[in-house]
Amino acid sequence: MSDHGGAVVEVHDLHKHYGATRALDGISFSAHAGEVFGLLGHNGAGKSTTIRVLTGRTRPTSGVARVLGEPVPEAMERVRGQINLVPESQTLYERATAKENLDLFCTLYDVPRARGDEALERVRLGHVAKRKVKTFSTGMKQRLLVARALLNAPAVLFMDEPTRGLDPQSARELHGLVEELSAGGTTIFLTTHDMHEADRLCDRVAFLAEGRIVALDTPRALKLQLAGPPEVDVVLKDGRGEHLRLGEDHDGEAARLVELVRAGQVRTLHSCEPTLADVFIALAGRSLDDDPQKHA
Amino acid sequence: MSPRRIGAIVVKDVRDAVRDGRILVLLLLPIGLAVFYNGTASDANERPETTVAIVDPARTGIADELRKASRRSVDLTTIAARDAAAARRTVDADDAAFAVVVQPAASGDAPARARILLPENATPTAQSVVALVDDAVAAAAGRPPSSQVSVERLAVAASDRKPTDIIDQATILVVICIVMLLGFVALVVVPMQVAEEIGSGTFGALRLAATGPEILAAKALSGLLYAAGGTALTLAITGIGAHSPLRLYGGALALAISLVGFGLLLGFVSGNPTQINTWGGFIVLPVIALGTAVLVVEDGIMAVVLDVLPFSQGTRLLFDGVSPQEPFATGLVAWLVLAAWSLAGFAALTRIASRRDA
Repeated sequence: MSDHGGAVVEVHDLHKHYGATRALDGISFSAHAGEVFGLLGHNGAGKSTTIRVLTGRTRPTSGVARVLGEPVPEAMERVRGQINLVPESQTLYERATAKENLDLFCTLYDVPRARGDEALERVRLGHVAKRKVKTFSTGMKQRLLVARALLNAPAVLFMDEPTRGLDPQSARELHGLVEELSAGGTTIFLTTHDMHEADRLCDRVAFLAEGRIVALDTPRALKLQLAGPPEVDVVLKDGRGEHLRLGEDHDGEAARLVELVRAGQVRTLHSCEPTLADVFIALAGRSLDDDPQKHA
Repeated sequence: MSPRRIGAIVVKDVRDAVRDGRILVLLLLPIGLAVFYNGTASDANERPETTVAIVDPARTGIADELRKASRRSVDLTTIAARDAAAARRTVDADDAAFAVVVQPAASGDAPARARILLPENATPTAQSVVALVDDAVAAAAGRPPSSQVSVERLAVAASDRKPTDIIDQATILVVICIVMLLGFVALVVVPMQVAEEIGSGTFGALRLAATGPEILAAKALSGLLYAAGGTALTLAITGIGAHSPLRLYGGALALAISLVGFGLLLGFVSGNPTQINTWGGFIVLPVIALGTAVLVVEDGIMAVVLDVLPFSQGTRLLFDGVSPQEPFATGLVAWLVLAAWSLAGFAALTRIASRRDA
């Protein structure tokens, strides 16, 4: 993983209220240069509001938000050229071509238009640069959003559900791009519903529930919080499966595993560790797939 | 504010407008109507009519000569009057467009003389006939070209300056179409473009790269470009010239500015371009109705209401801009009313946008 320098995104006791609704209820965290920081939570947990505050598009009710050392949204003009966003929804000009979409933002960011061509090639859309965006598939549009977000070579890139709608191949390519950007020193601030994606990409993740951060650590450390005695799933050559616990109180099952291995009956053997999703359910009380309205 | 960023958004908006069939229809409909009305109304007025009161005690036959001289372009009716006073009363009563008083020559060699009683608000048709009186008097006296014709301008009360008498029908309809165009641009097209940006989320994407005021300034500028372009195109196609370019072009621009702040606000609050497009006709209806009302409402409470509305003051400026007689004699008040509404629109927009931002 990347070497983390100073904090480039800092949030301290951040509140954002919409009337009686507390979208953010005093969250604090920081993300460092080159870090991939994940923010996980249900719909309505406050992920997008956090990104809206950090990208200067909404004013917090109270608290401090700093990006690249500058308070936002107050000093947004100094930060504007150094951040970018892959938004949750496909915010593109449908009647314009892919190139025209990027040309507009090249002018807004005051960067050469050749940067747009490079970005299109990077997301494998160079061959459809002159096609209207309304003819694009969901995945192509998502890739175009990523291309747009790369135009100003941002120091901090916010990505709101970036792989939603992407096919597995495109999602894998995006993961590679995130790792490449992070290795190059770009801080990635990622929100996702995909726990495997968060586990794979994020240096640290924060779990957000009802406007509050309920856990913040590396994926491994979070998973270790739930880790009990080691357990394994064994699939035997005759097709049967067995679940064996190997802790101190289960000597018999450990001996059974040794016996199966010695007898050459084991086809596959998998260790059973808690996943990030298990940790989230344990801490937030429900899975990311649950509809929060059912629990209201 | 960055002119580069504002310019980039304006270029994008104009390009998008050309590609959006809904917006193209809104922009081209008033222009098409103006061309249509200009053509059909001009045809209807191909043989304008006018009536002249004639005082001819010496029976020189000037009435026949005047009819003969004008028969190619005007259907002329003459009314015989006993004396100058009777002729004046006929003109004052609007029974004749003007009067010709033929005065007997002092001697056989003296030039034939006539006096024309011409109201200040004489129609273009009447004025065209006035230009023929000189030759008609001389022809009637049998002594071309030695005639002396003097014109006496008759003062007309302001309440008698009826714009519909002064401005021809085609020009009136074209000006109303321009008002319709400005209403569509400011209160339908601009809001639709803003609402589409908000509804599709591209407004948020722009907000990352540009400030809110820059985006709104660009939207307003796009609207003013459509307004200026549409007005210029309409006038060019219909061939209607500007008597006072400041009042015509400045008035059109000022009317657009006075409305565009409210248009931006409408788009900002609605966020639904389809809804705005559906109800656009109803939104613009008051603009056209109150703009047109200046032609018929002369006094009463309604006249006071019209005095403080941007649509009516803007329309008055446009009519004064195309007519040499300046039927509304618009002055500083019209500009001040439009400026006040402009400030009010943008102030309301700023207030709502700040609240939304918070």
